[in-house]
Amino acid sequence: MRRIVLWLLSTLSAVVLLFGYHTSTSGPAATAQAPVGASLATTSTTTTSGGTDPGTDSSSGSSGSTASSSPTPAASSTVTGDVAQTRWGPVQVQITTDGSGTITDVEVLQYPSGNHEDDQINAYALPQLVQATLDAQSAEIDMVSGATVTSEGYLQSLQSALDQAKA
Amino acid sequence: MTTAVRARYVEHVMGMPISLALRGRHADDAAAREAWAEALAVLREVDRVFSTYRDDSFVSRLGRGELTVEECPPEVAEVLELGERARRESSGAFDVRRRGVLDPSGVVKGWAVERAAAPLRALPGTDVCLSAGGDMVCHVAGPDSPEWRIGIENPHNPTALLATVPVRNGAVATSGLAHRPGHVVDARTGRVPDGVASVTVVGADLTWADIDATAAFALGADAARWLAGRPGRTALVVWADGRTELVG
Repeated sequence: MRRIVLWLLSTLSAVVLLFGYHTSTSGPAATAQAPVGASLATTSTTTTSGGTDPGTDSSSGSSGSTASSSPTPAASSTVTGDVAQTRWGPVQVQITTDGSGTITDVEVLQYPSGNHEDDQINAYALPQLVQATLDAQSAEIDMVSGATVTSEGYLQSLQSALDQAKA
Repeated sequence: MTTAVRARYVEHVMGMPISLALRGRHADDAAAREAWAEALAVLREVDRVFSTYRDDSFVSRLGRGELTVEECPPEVAEVLELGERARRESSGAFDVRRRGVLDPSGVVKGWAVERAAAPLRALPGTDVCLSAGGDMVCHVAGPDSPEWRIGIENPHNPTALLATVPVRNGAVATSGLAHRPGHVVDARTGRVPDGVASVTVVGADLTWADIDATAAFALGADAARWLAGRPGRTALVVWADGRTELVG
């Protein structure tokens, strides 16, 4: 489920890029970003700023030739993404933006499990490897997970140091 | 993010240090101490029923054939069912019975801490992190609460951390040999797995995080591959040669 949330987030950021592209004048960087949005396959834009319709197909997204045509965007618009088939089932998002391209609402139309609370709870971070071996004091750690610490081994453990330091 | 821990508590139950960190409204008051006492009472009761070190526990008597499962408290059947599911899902590497001896300890610990956390979770406006010997349940009171920052011990140097993981609501369990050599064996062979030094699993509840960490560790060289097929969890596998592998 963590992947799905990350996927949603990456979708959001891609759409942000997409709208950034939309309202900016056409430059090499913006042009390069367009296919990112295009690959996420937005299908229906109800109102757009009059620039390229992002991502309906690769030709409009990649050319960038018409992107500078409208410096004054229109009013709010709603974009509904394609249904993406993920490992856990279908996911679909809908994004509403105001005239300046700022996202004002995100609605998830389809969740894989149909249970929003589950999705929230199941969003787990991956452990982040620390470059050098840290001690618990320097890492602002609340608790230490390690192979079963027994009462005999406790006094020498990092957890013990934490418990004493912050008691 | 700086997390201001407001109160910490430590007691020893079941031969393990039980560490509690609380933040927020009831971190350090009578309600906190009452909930902590309730949590410890849950763990002591679990020990009384399930301990394999006590000859008079229900599980010891069940293992000797002096009782049937039906004659035990209903929690015994619940734990045995979890153990059976774990055995099936790990292709037999995890088994509460080995050479005819019943030892559900591998299921009991996470399951017990999950139950013990209930009265603490019920404290309004209070964040909870409850650890039993390095396996823990994390809970935060609301969407604005900071995460708990969990350090993952380096199995090759238990005085140092190898990784950190932020957890708001969920559980972290680590299985390995750092403190108890020979504690976990592959139930299929009876041998201590080689190739893997420790397995840490982050998941929704400690019951299954603990089972999965133990099962993956018992699977040895197959640990990471097996964990990759367990959606809804992330994991850190530390191999015997010091390499690390993230799964999730």
